[in-house]
Amino acid sequence: MKRSRLMAAALGAALAVSAAAGCGSGAGNDASTLTFLSWTGEEQMQPILDAFHEANPDITVEASYAPPVAEYIQTLQTRVLSGTAPDVFMIAAENKTSLIEGGHVVDLTNEPFMDKIPDFNKETYGRDGRVYGMSVSSWAAGYLYNKDLLAQVGYDSVPESWDEFLVMCEELQAAGVTPFLESVDQMPTTVSAWIGAKSYEMEPTLDELIFSGESTFEEQWTPALEEYNRLFTEGIVAKDVVGLDGDMVRDEFANGRVAVINAGPWVINAIREASPDLEFEFAPVPALPDGTPFQAGAATPGYAINSQASEEKQAMAKKFLDFLASPEGVAVFEEQTNDVTVTSDFEPTPDPAFEPLAAAIREGRLYLPMISWQRSEDVLNVEAVAQIQRMIQGQVDPAGVATALDTKLASS
Amino acid sequence: MATSTLPPVTVREGLAQGRRRRRTGGGWKQLAVSQAFLLPAVLVLVFLFVVPLAQSFYWSLTDFTGYSTDVTFTGLSNYRTILTDPSMLAALGFTLLFGVGTTVIVTVIAIPLAVQLNKRFFGRNFVRSLWFFPAIPSMAILGLVWRYILSPIESGVVNSVLDDLFGIGPFGWLSDDSLARFSVILVGIWSAAGWHAVLYMAYLQSIPSEYYEVARIDGASPRQQFFAITLPLLTPALVISTFLLMTAGLKVFDLPYTLTNGGPGFATYTITQSIVVSGVSQGRYGLASALAVLFTLAVALLAFGQLWLTKTIERRFV
Repeated sequence: MKRSRLMAAALGAALAVSAAAGCGSGAGNDASTLTFLSWTGEEQMQPILDAFHEANPDITVEASYAPPVAEYIQTLQTRVLSGTAPDVFMIAAENKTSLIEGGHVVDLTNEPFMDKIPDFNKETYGRDGRVYGMSVSSWAAGYLYNKDLLAQVGYDSVPESWDEFLVMCEELQAAGVTPFLESVDQMPTTVSAWIGAKSYEMEPTLDELIFSGESTFEEQWTPALEEYNRLFTEGIVAKDVVGLDGDMVRDEFANGRVAVINAGPWVINAIREASPDLEFEFAPVPALPDGTPFQAGAATPGYAINSQASEEKQAMAKKFLDFLASPEGVAVFEEQTNDVTVTSDFEPTPDPAFEPLAAAIREGRLYLPMISWQRSEDVLNVEAVAQIQRMIQGQVDPAGVATALDTKLASS
Repeated sequence: MATSTLPPVTVREGLAQGRRRRRTGGGWKQLAVSQAFLLPAVLVLVFLFVVPLAQSFYWSLTDFTGYSTDVTFTGLSNYRTILTDPSMLAALGFTLLFGVGTTVIVTVIAIPLAVQLNKRFFGRNFVRSLWFFPAIPSMAILGLVWRYILSPIESGVVNSVLDDLFGIGPFGWLSDDSLARFSVILVGIWSAAGWHAVLYMAYLQSIPSEYYEVARIDGASPRQQFFAITLPLLTPALVISTFLLMTAGLKVFDLPYTLTNGGPGFATYTITQSIVVSGVSQGRYGLASALAVLFTLAVALLAFGQLWLTKTIERRFV
């Protein structure tokens, strides 16, 4: 009796150890298996993996999934820390500093497939001239307008200048139409686009000046914030927008209750589903004086290779990335994700409503503060969003928002 | 029917007898056996609480980013950052407001509600279910639903109803600092009141009806019966309920996160959200650990204070 109990205990312990060993290994046990932690959902990613397996029958990709953003970042971080990171994973704005500085990702600079990737996407996931992530697409957000509501006041598109845009908003208000809504639960699209337009014309860039200590947020951001605050001080937009998220703003637009909103291509399907007859189109954010219309946006997260993976696995991972950057791979990727791809040997076909922003994506005329900031990205982003909400409520002036960012940068 | 012939033993006498037994030789063996039953609980406490807390304290003194254990000792700088950061102080303020506010108001609502639900009336089970229902879905789901209900624009559910019925509004339920705090606390109360009423009902049903009969014979009014019989005999339930409410309130994360995302500004930002944001989103695990250590100490202090208070009240009435 005692012996059988001992045997059972030993067997249980052996099973536990072997299970733990199985779980603990980041790399697949099979030499032909590549492990991959996907940011994209299984429904969209599996056809891409199937296409890769068809083109490379000797390699099987064993994918696991974690939804963006926080859950993905935490899952990957835990696996990196415990030495069980997959062979291929996504490098994003939220983890690029830690992954690059910690030496967790392979330098992809000289890989042949990187020749197809535009500089804008390479720089996003690079450091000191080296590139650590392969980003094959970008996204942009601008203004989405209801063609019929604008036509009521004699406009066929959003004006190119901010002053003209404010005049149009007043005319819409006079006609009993809510002119504009922008969710401010994240960095406002308008502010991102204006800062981006300014930075695009600068050398060194606006963020290089701020993060090197040659300039400050107060100097660079205050004029844009003052213009943005006119929406609220002049009564064009109600202060209640601070309680709205992107989905609420989208629903107001889909129901024809607002003429212009901030949005990206991710709202297109939901709006078409809710209001099939609604006529709408995207436009860049109107320009401030001396500026040009611009758009918020960034390179999508890049594929990165685990530096701790064996040489064989790294070679297989490079084959995987080579396929993802190939016209065949990009075609399946575009079909599944609807992203605007940026590789040089594939021409994407974006939704007609999104055409006005697609060219800017291909040219890399995009800006998102959180991506462009050189450190403390999320710390500054949380602070900026909260302070802009306070500015809209009248609790702090535009210079106060910028000063708060300077203080945060100094203390983090 | 056989009845026990053993003399009644008070708890105090029982403990004294136990101590006397432990002094004798055979008592040690008995003590070891009884202590062995505590071992699983002790192991769980050590491995799931003491060890993580000690680790958190260690990380709180470093610049740990979560990606490598190769860290630099930074002393108390993380603690200094917390105590000088306005967003974290705002989080502390709202967390305390939520914890104390929901505890007091839910208790004030749940006890009379339990008394009413304990009476016989038509559809009693349906009404009980109706009150209990908000405790079933997760707080995150409730937050998302209420976000639409309390939408601050004209098309928001509450604002539409107020406009249709009274021609007033729209009100910035989630966009005004004070109203946003009020809204988060209101939803917290709505979701917890029914569950705690059920807890009180369980205790109410154990109060012998003879007490009330005697009180009625003596001419006691319903109000006097409530304050002289019901409330004192509910003290054990009060201890449990307020303890659960206070600890849940201080740890609150999912409701304000989904309802207001801590905004507007930092008006409904909570300590737990601050820990999650600092740690997971910003990779500042050292800072998040320092916050967690301080928060654990603060919650422990409050919980022990509350336990002492309620025990004192319990001794006074029971």
